[in-house]
Amino acid sequence: MDWEKLVQLTVNGLTLGGVYALVALGFSMVYGILKLLNLAHGDVMMVGAFIGWGVLGWLGGVQDPRVAVWLLIVFMILVAMVGCGFLGVAVERFAYRPLRRAPRIAPLISALGVSFFIQNSVLLLWGANFRSYESFDLVDVEVGIHWGPLNVWILRVVVICSALAMMAGLWILVTRTKLGKAMRATAFDREAAAMMGIDVDRVIVKTFFIGSALAGAAGVLAGLVFGSINHFMGFGYGLKGFTAAVVGGIGSIPGAMFGGLFIGLAEAFSVGYIEDVTGWVSNRTGGVFPRLGSQFSDLVVFAILIAFMLLRPQGIFGKPEVKKV
Amino acid sequence: MRKGLIASALAVLAAAVVVSAAVANTSSTAAPAQLATCTNVSLGFLGPLTGPAGFLGQEQLSWLQFGVQKYNKANGTKFAVVQGDTQLKAPVALTVARRLAANKKIMAVIGGSESQAVRVSGKLFARNSLASISGSATAIDLTKNRPFKTFFRVVPNDGIQGPTIVKFVSQNLKAKNVVVIDSQDDYSLPLAQAITRGLRARDITVSRESVSADDTDFSSIVANVGANVNVVVFATQVATAANTLSNQLREQGKKAIVFGTDGAYSPSQFKPRSGYVSVFAPDIQFDRKARSLVNEYKKWSKNKAFGAFGPATYLAGLVAMTAIKNACADGRATRAEVVRQVQRTNIPSIFGGTVRFSRIGDPLPTKFIIYKITTGKYSPLG
Repeated sequence: MDWEKLVQLTVNGLTLGGVYALVALGFSMVYGILKLLNLAHGDVMMVGAFIGWGVLGWLGGVQDPRVAVWLLIVFMILVAMVGCGFLGVAVERFAYRPLRRAPRIAPLISALGVSFFIQNSVLLLWGANFRSYESFDLVDVEVGIHWGPLNVWILRVVVICSALAMMAGLWILVTRTKLGKAMRATAFDREAAAMMGIDVDRVIVKTFFIGSALAGAAGVLAGLVFGSINHFMGFGYGLKGFTAAVVGGIGSIPGAMFGGLFIGLAEAFSVGYIEDVTGWVSNRTGGVFPRLGSQFSDLVVFAILIAFMLLRPQGIFGKPEVKKV
Repeated sequence: MRKGLIASALAVLAAAVVVSAAVANTSSTAAPAQLATCTNVSLGFLGPLTGPAGFLGQEQLSWLQFGVQKYNKANGTKFAVVQGDTQLKAPVALTVARRLAANKKIMAVIGGSESQAVRVSGKLFARNSLASISGSATAIDLTKNRPFKTFFRVVPNDGIQGPTIVKFVSQNLKAKNVVVIDSQDDYSLPLAQAITRGLRARDITVSRESVSADDTDFSSIVANVGANVNVVVFATQVATAANTLSNQLREQGKKAIVFGTDGAYSPSQFKPRSGYVSVFAPDIQFDRKARSLVNEYKKWSKNKAFGAFGPATYLAGLVAMTAIKNACADGRATRAEVVRQVQRTNIPSIFGGTVRFSRIGDPLPTKFIIYKITTGKYSPLG
């Protein structure tokens, strides 16, 4: 057993999983309340990445930052969260609210349209070039934890800790605050919640704000740790975040957190071991089963999604829907 | 109900993909070769202006537009540029190529920038007797046995790049263990395979990895790179990807250095602490003789950063405009006449020497240049 590889893949998986979990939370929160798959959510995350990049440039860039690096990172995350929060609110107001009483397919199509609209708007504003956070120059990659087989760049630690802190914060908000109680009530039964005096529209707006703000933070964290961003990155992260939300149990907040980390780890381990495992199977089956390379890692991730859809469609933390007839 | 909704979402996504593919394959009628009056002539541009290689196409388009306005000013001509964005997708490239071929004002196309765009458009342009001149498509099969009669390129092919990299990695870097990574596209797969074959023929241990063209995280691929690996050859068209890979190798304490292929050439984006990159044309920013051209471009473009892709496309534009001007000597010209004039090209190159084409449309003579990168600074070797 190559322990160095195993440890490294675990760290990589947790980093990726932290980002997926933050995206999955937005999917799950919106689905929980509106039963809507917000397919534009990945693109909101992409906008967050671009806002972070803009703030980085505005504060002097990597070569000459006007503030301390830690403060710069905090500022990038906060501005992206606020910007994306308002973007999410705008999307809800103009693309989803008018369709709240329409058949379910209508907001789904609208979400797809919003996704392309956001993507093309960013293309128009910032161009097609891959943009680099140059985070490898901001904080040297050799700065971090180097202990035995463990090599972790400090920004990776920042990403994992920030993601966990935000998830914990959200959990406290949902379970311990008045707003959280209103969100849970709205998710449980929107009409009953309204009759009990809850301003459902306001709760929905706040849910969109929080979910989109988390996506904005995920965008900055992805930019920081992976270095480059582009106007179509939201599609990939959105798809994986959606997968994470489904695997965890769409509508469930702990499910989204768990699903994100699970999908991140599954992706990292499949890149690391798919060739060894399929090679072993291939040898045992006399070459009938093909030997697969790392390019097939997404096959593993989406095979997990299909398996869950077939065997446990409510996901790990979800509850089966019971309908009275 | 929830299952149904999720199934609907997946169906909508699948439908979107199918519809866009169908739209991209919609056929259009090809225009026959015609006489043009030579007073209102355009050059088509076929390259990725958006998508993962958008930076490449944007740089090329900018240099082409710079070249056209410079040529117009010097020669009293009125060339214009018609843009065609391939998005680095072959079906899109075909649709765009049809639009360019049907435009009667277009007498030559600059591009396709990427080899797959040439593969899908080459026969169409040949049927329309439309010359296409690329400043970056380097796949061997584009000119081998002349499959596309009107295709030319001002850069050498991968038949030169692959062996150049193999020779350098084995003889100069004396590598014993190499990882070769492709990015699952028509550009990188044949190149990565050629390099792998070449290295193995020299008894070098080679492991193969593969990433997607729009991947931004390679940390799990890096975990597969053994401590005894000396060099990671990355055949990619995304310079920032090569940069991330080199930094993630350092992050995980791996000693291997990254050798990028020509798609990774970008002094502003691929800046490893230590590495190499090969490129099809010398970077004129290192050439004193080209200083005035570089300064002129920087002034015109308001200091846009550039690498090797732009100047090569500028040269392709010069070839096209010169050929059209010669074909228009009597005031009227056909596209076929322009093709003949391109074949006869013999003009000074901005890279030194002259531009001439072989029978099959390859430049004569050419070589790939290797740049050593130390703390992000490029220096040409040999």
